[in-house]
Amino acid sequence: MTDRNEGKSAQGTQMSRREALKLGLAAGVGLTVFGMNARIVFADEGQVLKVAHPAFDQDWSPLRGGGRPFRWNSIWWASPMYFDSEGKIKPYVFTSWDSPDNKVWTFKIDPKAVFSDGSKITSADVKGSWEVASMPNTKSQRADQVLSKVQGYKEISGGSGNELTGVATPDEGTVVVTLTEVDPIFFMRLANHIAPITKAAQSRGSDGEEVADWYKPDSKPVFSGPFKLTSLDIDAGKLVFEPNENFFGPKPKLARIEITSVEDNVTATSLINSGEFNAHTELVTSTIIQDLGPEFSSGPLIPTSQHFWFNVTRAPMDDPKVRQALIMAIDRDGLFKASYPDGPHKKADQILNSVPGADNSGFEPYPYDPAAAKKLLAESSYGGPERLPKILFVGISAPAIEAAAQFIAEQWRQNLGITAVDMKPQQDSYAGPDQNAVQIFRDDVGTRVPDAVSYLAGCIASTSSNAQNKLGGYKNEKVDAALAEAATKASDDPQRIKLAQDAQKAFRDDWAFIPWYSQAMSRWATKEVKGMEKNLDWQVVAPWDISVG
Amino acid sequence: MLRYVLTRFAIWIPSVLIVMLAVYALAFYGAGDPIKLIFLRAPGDVAYNPQRIEAIRESAGLNKPFIEQFGFYIWNLLHGQFGNSLTSGRSVWAMVSAAAPVSFQLALCSIVLTAVVAIPLGMIAALNQNTRLDYTILGSALFLWAIPAYVAGPLLMVALIVLLPMIKVPYGWGGVLDVRILLPLIVLSFQPIALIVRQTRAAVIEVLSEDFVRTARAKGVPEIIVALRHILRPVLTPVVTQLGLIMITIVNGAIFVELVFGLPGLGRLTVQALTNSDYPVILAITLIGSFLVMASNLLVDVLYPLLDPRANDARRSR
Repeated sequence: MTDRNEGKSAQGTQMSRREALKLGLAAGVGLTVFGMNARIVFADEGQVLKVAHPAFDQDWSPLRGGGRPFRWNSIWWASPMYFDSEGKIKPYVFTSWDSPDNKVWTFKIDPKAVFSDGSKITSADVKGSWEVASMPNTKSQRADQVLSKVQGYKEISGGSGNELTGVATPDEGTVVVTLTEVDPIFFMRLANHIAPITKAAQSRGSDGEEVADWYKPDSKPVFSGPFKLTSLDIDAGKLVFEPNENFFGPKPKLARIEITSVEDNVTATSLINSGEFNAHTELVTSTIIQDLGPEFSSGPLIPTSQHFWFNVTRAPMDDPKVRQALIMAIDRDGLFKASYPDGPHKKADQILNSVPGADNSGFEPYPYDPAAAKKLLAESSYGGPERLPKILFVGISAPAIEAAAQFIAEQWRQNLGITAVDMKPQQDSYAGPDQNAVQIFRDDVGTRVPDAVSYLAGCIASTSSNAQNKLGGYKNEKVDAALAEAATKASDDPQRIKLAQDAQKAFRDDWAFIPWYSQAMSRWATKEVKGMEKNLDWQVVAPWDISVG
Repeated sequence: MLRYVLTRFAIWIPSVLIVMLAVYALAFYGAGDPIKLIFLRAPGDVAYNPQRIEAIRESAGLNKPFIEQFGFYIWNLLHGQFGNSLTSGRSVWAMVSAAAPVSFQLALCSIVLTAVVAIPLGMIAALNQNTRLDYTILGSALFLWAIPAYVAGPLLMVALIVLLPMIKVPYGWGGVLDVRILLPLIVLSFQPIALIVRQTRAAVIEVLSEDFVRTARAKGVPEIIVALRHILRPVLTPVVTQLGLIMITIVNGAIFVELVFGLPGLGRLTVQALTNSDYPVILAITLIGSFLVMASNLLVDVLYPLLDPRANDARRSR
């Protein structure tokens, strides 16, 4: 009691302990109860497409040409042409395309094509959009795929120029493109949203670089697609799109599209199950059919496939007999069932799928023959399973992939006696202590055009990233020669397809991959959502046709 | 007191510099190249062009020596500039200042909830020592302690929403008045509640044997008054200390809770920055995390003399 009185008198008019505690408690409760940003959330009704987006993306620039935001480019941007769900090319901003020599291409712009403010889409906008997409600082992830053969691209993308010298604009309705080499399918390469057509005066600054935040509503941008971005809360991960009243194509059916970041798959599945969301950007789980029904992920096969690639330069994959033994020891029907028992994908026997030449390609599927596999392993330079180094997989990053990899490891244990197998989720950036011992990379390969040569050039040609990085600098003269010759043939020339098939057959003899599955382009939308068909570029084919209910 | 706070702050600065140097070195020399990741993370047939990667790296100043880059970073930091995200190009300060209030409110709510629930439960358990009620409270606390947030979140989500569709999916942030905050808050508070229940129970049991409690009871003071006036106050000192220290538990748990329930806080930002090897963002979050831990410890030190006059006397005598 004495202490307390002395304390009080010493403090005089200062705050007492009791008062300080009360104040602290009140402040805590106040901040907690009357927290900022408090608001009541009302449910939206009507024709509203509510999309769960699997990443907390902070960058939605349509010029990035990749990443998950790219999947929604077609709702707010127009492309030169587009592929429909059956792989047929359709006019969009460009109404015609022509090239007598497959090197100089002339494109005509639809005179009715306008931006959301009613101004015309001109050839200068096309040229400027392609140029800004090519600038290195724009960090477009796929500009190479579309524009790499255009004169001036190499300089602009390498940082030594800022103009595509091969693109001429003789009048506001004509674009003339000169390539560095013959490319009979150049017009097909343009039929996507990798380098969407923007109003160049808004997206590109006087220095040639992309203007920061130009596409955000605060910057008052104009759009070329059926919807316009009306609200963007990047910190909360929420975007709202509303119809573009001046869209030059069909009138959109939806009143609004809301995209919200939902990173967790369990949460996203719950939200879709409960009817709070009705679409997803990319939801891949091994129980997706059971969770959300077959309609949710149904869709046509696209020219993309998933496989396990062998690094042929690393032990023990440097011995062809080991590679052959490892492939023949796997029951690939079982491998597919272990990962996607109910679809939506389809077991793959070769690389090519959904492109002309994929059927009857002459690629004989690898056999399942455990006895022959065991014999081959015994005949290899390693003499059997005991002397094999540990086999390391990378890219084992999702439940379905884990199931497949575990199945492979189990088959090797049962059929070959191999027990030293390890798996890591990391893929290209793997930098663990065993980095130089990674022998198998799980990854997809594919193409954005319905063309067998383009498909194989991106994965088995020695110049491809897949051959260089996953297959360990793989090079087969027969493969390279066949694909190089095929690339000069017209898209409808039977020789183009025949040469691609020959290249794939030559690759088969090198036993460098375990075929896994051909990918279906899922709708990723509930059955109430209509018009969600996607094209080879992962885009909604006709976003103006999407409707709910 | 002011001198004490300033001294603590002076000690904090070199500690943080060392931590930041370590984090910067790990990001610089460790796995994951932020520029390559921009290209490699895109699904599909992306074949990045090394020449293009180099041009981007040069433009961002990432081809300079380590020490030069770190020095430049610290210099900018001293001028109040956190730089820009390597992945999105956004201002790190804008990203962090948008996310921090969410995490701060969440942490504060969690601490309040923990104190409100755990302290009474701990006292009830202690006052009913070795009874069924005590065992139930203690057993439940141990059970909660064993469930990490990244298990509790999805489990509750599946149990309450998918199996027993009792509530709408509590997804997104609408402020602390929004009903959606309840489930994430409960998940986040599981472990802190368990910890404080056990701490309070142990402290109360110790105080129960003190002379002043016996005296109060002998004088016929009602049990509720004994509990609140004579037992609670000395018990609060170690409990408040612990409440300060559980800030780290809450910050760790928030990473998973924010991801599962879609709360746009620092935890979610951390995961995104780590995934992308976006080290300007990682460093800013490290700095804030370090400051939060230091501030919570400092707050505990400042609260000590308010809760227990003996601590004030000891400090004066020093």
